[in-house]
Amino acid sequence: MFSLPLLRPRLPRPGFRLALLAGLALALTPAALPPQLQQVAPQLAGAQAQQKLLRISAIPDQKPETLNRLYPLVASELSRSLGVPVKYVPVTDYTAAVSAFRRGDLDLVWFGALTGVQARLQKPGAKVIAQRDIDASFQSFFIANTASGIKPIANQKGLSVLKGKRFTFGSESSTSGRLMPQYFLGQAGVRLSDFAGGAPGFSSSHDATIALVQSGAYQAGVVNEEVWQSNLSSGKTDPKKVIVIWRTPGYANYHWLAQPNLDQRFGKGFTTRLQSTFLNLRASNPKQAQILDLFGAKRFIPAPVSQYDSIEKVGREIGKIR
Amino acid sequence: MTATSAWSWRSLRLAPPLLPLLPVLAWLPVLLVLPGLSHGGGWDLIGQFAWAAFNPSLDPLVLGSLLSGLGITVGIALLGWALSLALGLLGGVLSSRTVWRTLIGSALPAELIRRLLAVPRAMHELLWGLLLLQLLGLQPVVAVLAITIPYAALVARVVSDLLDALPTQGLEALRLAGAPAAPALLTALGPALQPGVISYGGYRLECALRSATLLGVFGLGGLGTDLRLTLQSLQFSELWSGLWILLLVMLALEALLRALRQRWAMPARFGLTRRSVGRGGREVALGLVLLLPLLVLVAAALGVSPLQLGQLQPLPPFTADWPAVAALPWLSLIGSTLGLTLLAAALAVGSAPLLLLLLAPWPWGRVLIQAVWALGRLWPPPLTALLLLFVLQPGVLTAALALAFHNLGILGRLLLEAEESAPMQAEEALVAAGAGPRLALLYGRFSALARSYLAYGAYRADVILRETVVVGLVGAAGLGSLLLESLSSFAIDQLIALVAVYVLLTLMGEDLSDRLRRRLLAA
Repeated sequence: MFSLPLLRPRLPRPGFRLALLAGLALALTPAALPPQLQQVAPQLAGAQAQQKLLRISAIPDQKPETLNRLYPLVASELSRSLGVPVKYVPVTDYTAAVSAFRRGDLDLVWFGALTGVQARLQKPGAKVIAQRDIDASFQSFFIANTASGIKPIANQKGLSVLKGKRFTFGSESSTSGRLMPQYFLGQAGVRLSDFAGGAPGFSSSHDATIALVQSGAYQAGVVNEEVWQSNLSSGKTDPKKVIVIWRTPGYANYHWLAQPNLDQRFGKGFTTRLQSTFLNLRASNPKQAQILDLFGAKRFIPAPVSQYDSIEKVGREIGKIR
Repeated sequence: MTATSAWSWRSLRLAPPLLPLLPVLAWLPVLLVLPGLSHGGGWDLIGQFAWAAFNPSLDPLVLGSLLSGLGITVGIALLGWALSLALGLLGGVLSSRTVWRTLIGSALPAELIRRLLAVPRAMHELLWGLLLLQLLGLQPVVAVLAITIPYAALVARVVSDLLDALPTQGLEALRLAGAPAAPALLTALGPALQPGVISYGGYRLECALRSATLLGVFGLGGLGTDLRLTLQSLQFSELWSGLWILLLVMLALEALLRALRQRWAMPARFGLTRRSVGRGGREVALGLVLLLPLLVLVAAALGVSPLQLGQLQPLPPFTADWPAVAALPWLSLIGSTLGLTLLAAALAVGSAPLLLLLLAPWPWGRVLIQAVWALGRLWPPPLTALLLLFVLQPGVLTAALALAFHNLGILGRLLLEAEESAPMQAEEALVAAGAGPRLALLYGRFSALARSYLAYGAYRADVILRETVVVGLVGAAGLGSLLLESLSSFAIDQLIALVAVYVLLTLMGEDLSDRLRRRLLAA
């Protein structure tokens, strides 16, 4: 057997005590957690606490330090305006966020268009609360490495130059990094199997897509306009190496989605008050300005549910909604 | 009759120390193809990554988030590990052929339970986490169980293999002398099993820490959440803050486990101070007694409670389109996944002894090897894949290299540990007889380790098969990419089919590695 001869140990060495101490210290780390963290989990678990606590979450495609700064601010602003305790629950996975929303473990989630539709289909009655000013007509940019020889194209039909090229999307369930781009590619007659290697890559994020296209690992890719602009202005993107070749038409994207039962749990009119809290965020208030700035928005606006009908249709065509 | 005419290819047998080096041959085709894959456009990004290693972010907000995340990750690892060890021991005894033969005279139940345990083992921790999330909700207990279930099944397999490989003469003697089955088993096999379980159990804790780091998904946060977010947004300075912290914890844990293993899992051979009989056993028992309240404390701090198991909700209903599932290109999916797994396993298994052989005689060689292997264990495969993509084109080969580097770190450490504890005499004799340091190491020490190392490599291939899920980044179409795609589309029918395929592959791989191991160990 492998572990008998392979892991045959030797005599104790002087380092033993030191290692023991290190290990003990390590094992006790959880007990030394900051107290506010120790309380997170019981709050999540207790059924009674759920009645009083508004649990918010977001599918994070922002930088972690933005996230770490943004969500305490959002939580405290909501808490102040609504008079209930608010807790930010970190969920790093699209599928997990939708599932947790279906089960009722999250009350208010910042979803992308596709994941929002998936969540509403799994939780009938869920309410769309608000979107940013930029979300009503969001765009994706197709980008290419300059050494690949791909030139900017005049119209959508031109996307067929991507056939036979190494191409990457962002994350699998990203609306701007996958769903709508795949739809526009399909309209131009480009199927996923037409890319070099027989399949596209999934870079997992917009930032990674830009880096991978800029390096040349992938000859082309697609990113959302917001991340492209911020990478360009921060100097992370080298315009000599990577260029925009086509901008998609606009479509609806990110929005806040709330559980259908918030009024029962928090009192009549709670959902409406929640909605107006977002709609009334103003740049003239310093704290609210910070939130808007971290969200990359001038303000939040109402989000008509009908604007996601086309997203749902595309989702069904592509097989991301069943 | 001349000697040449009696020659046949069957008489061509490799010397045992050369066996672990055999998989190195996989490098030949890789090295041939590699220059064509290189695009070299991202060396500046690699440079930024390397520079960030020496300039990690010291922002208090970042560090605070990392440290509290570390507490959560270590806590989850500890709980998942302890539970999986307890359940795995039980499962191991239940799936041991020797135990069932002694109890009822037939090994059939053992075979059955072994096959059943392949199901939990075939599913990646991430998948277990998402399944449990559907059933139990966003509860801390989900993260713990997601580690416990597959790990328990893995421990059960190893324990039953250990049990069945023990010599049975003592057991037979006790039985013939009239001892009842259960006490005879306990007396004859229990003590003999202890060293193996202790060393393997310690190693599982290291694995649990790696898994807990990967599972940043379950609403608890943890170090993995921060690592994943910093990786996705390419914030290398923040990423390195997390990696340095994780490295310190990883090395401290490895040192602790190594010290405990050396103390408990081996008889004092030529110690100057004679130890009293049973001291090791008493210390182990004391350790276990101390561990229990610690586990309770950790569970309370993280809010993990068995009561959460009561909040079971049914799975959502789903519509199945089985003809569409059957129409997927299964053969090519399985082919490319198996190719990726085998290539990664061969590169990892073969490179560890080769590197050791090449660099060990050089004074700084060992330090260098250990540093590189530590990085391999530290960097999650998606990070390695991203770094490789900065200079290589996407594809199966790049994915294999990323997986191989990670597993090389794990296998290499095990090899180094075994190599250090193997007897020195043969090597010293060879050196005294005038052999060079490399030849002496190869023939003097590797010969004793070769078979067990290869057997371990076979176990590792099992793990690599599941890990193919995490490198979808490189655009290699396989079962792993399809799994992620089905998960994000909530295509439950496809998921069921995929899990069935993974179970089948795991069973086949297990059967193959069982045969291989038996042949290797018999020789």
